[in-house]
Amino acid sequence: MSQRIPLSWLQLRHEKMKLFAAVSGVMVSVVLMWMQLGLLQALFASAVEFHGSVNGELIVIHGQYEYLLRNQPFSNRLLHRVLGSPEVLEIYPIYSEAVEWKNPWNGERRTIQCYGIDTDKSAINLPMLASQLPKLRQTDVFLYDRKARPGFGPVLDEFAKGTLIEPEINRRKMTLVGMTDLGASFGVDGNIIMSHANFLRLLSKRKPGELDFGVIKLRPGSDVLKLQAQFQAILGKEVNVLTRDELCARELVYWKRATPIGVVFTTGTFVGFFIGFIVVYQILYTDVTTHLPHFATMKAMGFSNGYLFRMVLTQSLQLAMLGFIPGSLIAGLLYTGLRAATMLPLQLEWSRGFFLLAATILMCTISGALAIRKLRTADPADVF
Amino acid sequence: MNNISTSPIISADGINFSFGQGELRKQILFDIKFQIQPGEVVLLMGPSGSGKTTLLTLIAGLRTLQEGQLDVLGHTLSGASQADLLALRRKIGFIFQAHNLLPYLTALQNVQVMFDLHPEVSPTEGRERAIHILQQVGLGDRMHYSISKLSGGQRQRVAVARALVCNPEIVLADEPTAALDGTSGREVVNLLQALAREQQRPILMVTHDARVVDIADRIIYMQDGRLTNNPHDAEVLTSLPGGHQ
Repeated sequence: MSQRIPLSWLQLRHEKMKLFAAVSGVMVSVVLMWMQLGLLQALFASAVEFHGSVNGELIVIHGQYEYLLRNQPFSNRLLHRVLGSPEVLEIYPIYSEAVEWKNPWNGERRTIQCYGIDTDKSAINLPMLASQLPKLRQTDVFLYDRKARPGFGPVLDEFAKGTLIEPEINRRKMTLVGMTDLGASFGVDGNIIMSHANFLRLLSKRKPGELDFGVIKLRPGSDVLKLQAQFQAILGKEVNVLTRDELCARELVYWKRATPIGVVFTTGTFVGFFIGFIVVYQILYTDVTTHLPHFATMKAMGFSNGYLFRMVLTQSLQLAMLGFIPGSLIAGLLYTGLRAATMLPLQLEWSRGFFLLAATILMCTISGALAIRKLRTADPADVF
Repeated sequence: MNNISTSPIISADGINFSFGQGELRKQILFDIKFQIQPGEVVLLMGPSGSGKTTLLTLIAGLRTLQEGQLDVLGHTLSGASQADLLALRRKIGFIFQAHNLLPYLTALQNVQVMFDLHPEVSPTEGRERAIHILQQVGLGDRMHYSISKLSGGQRQRVAVARALVCNPEIVLADEPTAALDGTSGREVVNLLQALAREQQRPILMVTHDARVVDIADRIIYMQDGRLTNNPHDAEVLTSLPGGHQ
């Protein structure tokens, strides 16, 4: 079986160096876009890792809650009011506060986020947490976040060796009894989890019964939104009753509005897009210019403008694919490296992949469409 | 049937053509009138700058007709749309002075790609016809060569194959031998004539080359933008091949 001549491809690959340059340009652009969007998404995802893991459909927070690190506690008694509803299975009070960790190996002090939970109930859905709750009932013990950034000392290695690790936390000697996963974020380098009682011992200024998060676990099949409105009315204006998604969104509002993170990485993404656009445009434009006499010949022989336009657009799509695939592979390698270095949850996600593929195709198509304008100057009358 | 075969395929009357505007306006063609009948091999001869190539571009629908009547292959070119001109050009086999082959394709691909203008021909058939015609022009063993590996004469033979592979209704050639030495030029013209005769194709060839006049059924001479019957007016026989306008 014979095929039609793949004219665009044969013309594109005719000059190997130019093809290489164009593909490299698209590749750099694709890598940049992956990195920028990946970091942006990872930073946002890490900021709500805790919020997204709470074991309940509705969460009560103080009305002036700004974000994890700037919060006002509210009274546990308020939370208990919802227990009257038959739809409520459980309530989980959670304390949260930044504490000072003194690195037991070098004496450096660093801030770590501390959560106080009820050791009878699984307030947070985290791997390995439920089975370790009984251990947490001892005095002055805590769990350590395996995904914490380095800087708190060689905690993981030493713990694995069986070394007794007893750092000073808020100037109180605490004992490490286990590991959990929560993850570092923009605001937080690492986390520790302990019982309410131990939390309150560490933070003497905190009053018992003054909560940061009140997690409400509903009976399966409950009308979450109806109950949300109902509880909000019961609890009054001092607190907000949010769904888990709303809580995450609320947390992100802070990071999006109050920090330049979004702007920085979105700009970076556009820079990547622009670099690719310029490179592909330059290459296609010079390519069309180089081949102008050939295009003129083809026009003279009866090839339509549309045929030639399609040829250049096909080339731009070919460049898009040739750059996108290796670019995505490189981004994958960089993600792996950055994940280890930053402890951020960087993932090559399909949805982002499709988005970037579409962006790459758009980028190359715009370049091609602009380069095509040059094609109009090919005058078939010049060939004689 | 008889009717069709006797009506001219090219019919020109009162064609005037100028380049430029206003003060710079320069008239190139003056009151051109001629006809070409089906199957005729016609040479258009004349010195450089006499307007031969301009006339050829008008016939090919590559320039817009300014004044006069010009009918080519049933298309009236006065006021023709771009789409109409494109349709006309698809019926024409072009041979250029420089071969104008696509350098990034092989000889076979250069011929085969013409079938992109004729989607009704299957790729398989197109390939077979391209191979066949390349064999006819003596390049059966060089079909897969890239253009840069072929000699000047071989390239022009590929160009002849490309012009004829889609069975054009007329072949327009612009000094096809100008870039070639005597022997290669002769070969190309012979091939062109043989193939055109076999397919009953008319040929209109602009040339300077006095060595190829023997293939012509008829010669039209041109001098200073006018057709003339007297070859001596056109100084054709004294001009040397290889000139270009």
